[in-house]
Amino acid sequence: MSITTTLLLTLCLILLPRARAEADLVVVVNARNGIERLTLDSVINIFMGRYRQLPSGIPAQPVDQPDGRPEKARFYRLLVNKDLAEINAYWARLIFSGRTSPPYQAKSTAEILDRLARQPGAIAYIERNQADPRVRIVLELEH
Amino acid sequence: MNGKNKMKQGHHLLTALALALSMAAVNPAGAADQSQEDVAGHRLSLHGFGTLGLARSDDDDAQFVRDLSQPSGLTSRWSTKVDSMIGLQAGYRFNDKLEGVLQVVSRYHSEGNFSPEVSWAFLRYDPDPTASVRIGRLGTEFYMLADSRLVGYANLTVRPPPDYFGPLVLSYIDGIDGAKSVPVGNGLLRGKLFTGVSPEKMSLSDGLYWNMSGSLVVGGHLDYLTGPWQIRIGQTRVRFDKDLPINEYTGLDITGQVPEMSVVGKWTRYDSLGVVYDNSPFQLQLMLSRIDQGSAAFEDSRAGYAIASYRTGNVTPFLGYSRTKSDANHFNSTPPLEQATAAFLSASTHSDQHTWFLGARWDLRKDLDLKAQVDWVRGSPGSVFPFRAETPSWDGHMTVFSLALDYVF
Repeated sequence: MSITTTLLLTLCLILLPRARAEADLVVVVNARNGIERLTLDSVINIFMGRYRQLPSGIPAQPVDQPDGRPEKARFYRLLVNKDLAEINAYWARLIFSGRTSPPYQAKSTAEILDRLARQPGAIAYIERNQADPRVRIVLELEH
Repeated sequence: MNGKNKMKQGHHLLTALALALSMAAVNPAGAADQSQEDVAGHRLSLHGFGTLGLARSDDDDAQFVRDLSQPSGLTSRWSTKVDSMIGLQAGYRFNDKLEGVLQVVSRYHSEGNFSPEVSWAFLRYDPDPTASVRIGRLGTEFYMLADSRLVGYANLTVRPPPDYFGPLVLSYIDGIDGAKSVPVGNGLLRGKLFTGVSPEKMSLSDGLYWNMSGSLVVGGHLDYLTGPWQIRIGQTRVRFDKDLPINEYTGLDITGQVPEMSVVGKWTRYDSLGVVYDNSPFQLQLMLSRIDQGSAAFEDSRAGYAIASYRTGNVTPFLGYSRTKSDANHFNSTPPLEQATAAFLSASTHSDQHTWFLGARWDLRKDLDLKAQVDWVRGSPGSVFPFRAETPSWDGHMTVFSLALDYVF
């Protein structure tokens, strides 16, 4: 095996799992709710409980990935550059002062997709390759 | 309507809420149809928070308290008294728009013990996602972050800076509040108004209490949130219903002879400005306030603090500075004895000090953190209001060492 091949193989081995773990995260809504795009600010407002109304006027119902899923940590890192401990502390303040509730926490990706299909106001984040025809991508999150 | 009736009414409301919540607890799903239950998620929620605090000062000439609701504070011996607490909260969601919340907290407070108090008990109605109305017992929000000052896990420092939050002895009111959010530019404008009646009392020296029940509280604030910035201006006014027990304490007719010492029917005003810049991993908090007393029984004061922090992995070191200063009241006219006594009593509310504090929060795991902090208090010997049990040799200087383990569940 030439040095070049070895190098290429090594490179692939390093890059492949990374590419797998860093698949694009996308913010998705119900495909029939009429929303084409959402700004980063409005997604922040919805998931951080500041303003949960979609441009169409219907209440936004954010859905979180299950605890422990890498998507969840990555989402909040990309959204507000915070880790989950900070997000947790943020919600502790709002819960114990009787304000907004945190997003509903789903048990699986299947449940997320199911909620997106059934609830007009549902909004969630998934890996791009998990999106199916029942959902529409309204924001792509950059690494 | 007199204070007693208001109190009674408050109790009825609390009883009704407690009953509603306990019925909800017994029958969580109720007769609601299954799809509704599914859409609303879990109807009944139970949460809790707590802090196990350990602290001491290096000075026995004054006792350091978290706020003036505490009748005694830290000495040079390690104590768990001032910061330890536990809170339990139950919420019941009737539907998308209506929710009931009951919170009970046990902490060291004006009774001189840890007897539990109902700190929140309200029904919240959200006519749409941008508006909300709450009625019942509500935590006071005189200043930004003040309504969550007992929840250690939600905060960076071991305790909210006492120079700033110490004079806030009203923790809750029985009343109503309303909030509304409107997008403005790239940001969000939020307004809130509240009013209610206090059911609380404040502990003074020598086992005396000031009954604050029946005091009328009216206030509001405006927040603007944009990008990493949150800015708030707020004002709260309090009209006290009952005088301080200064006549009983002195055996003199102080409020009769020096009418400006009476607080009854006079408005005290709390103005505040808060700025939070949260651009993780860097965060900065800046708060300013002014308390304009309606009577000469207390000195007018100004206070402020700043905290800067930088998160590195699970550890967030912080550095803070707080300052409080009050203006002496002057008494002329009146009989000399009463005048001198009034001046003495008023001066017992004097503060003139600053505090540097340095510490770190360590997020041990989900829902659990450990904090360590040192406070260096530097003030004049006449700065006595923020403390308890000062001796004549109090020099205004103190160092406080604190550890806290905070959790939520």
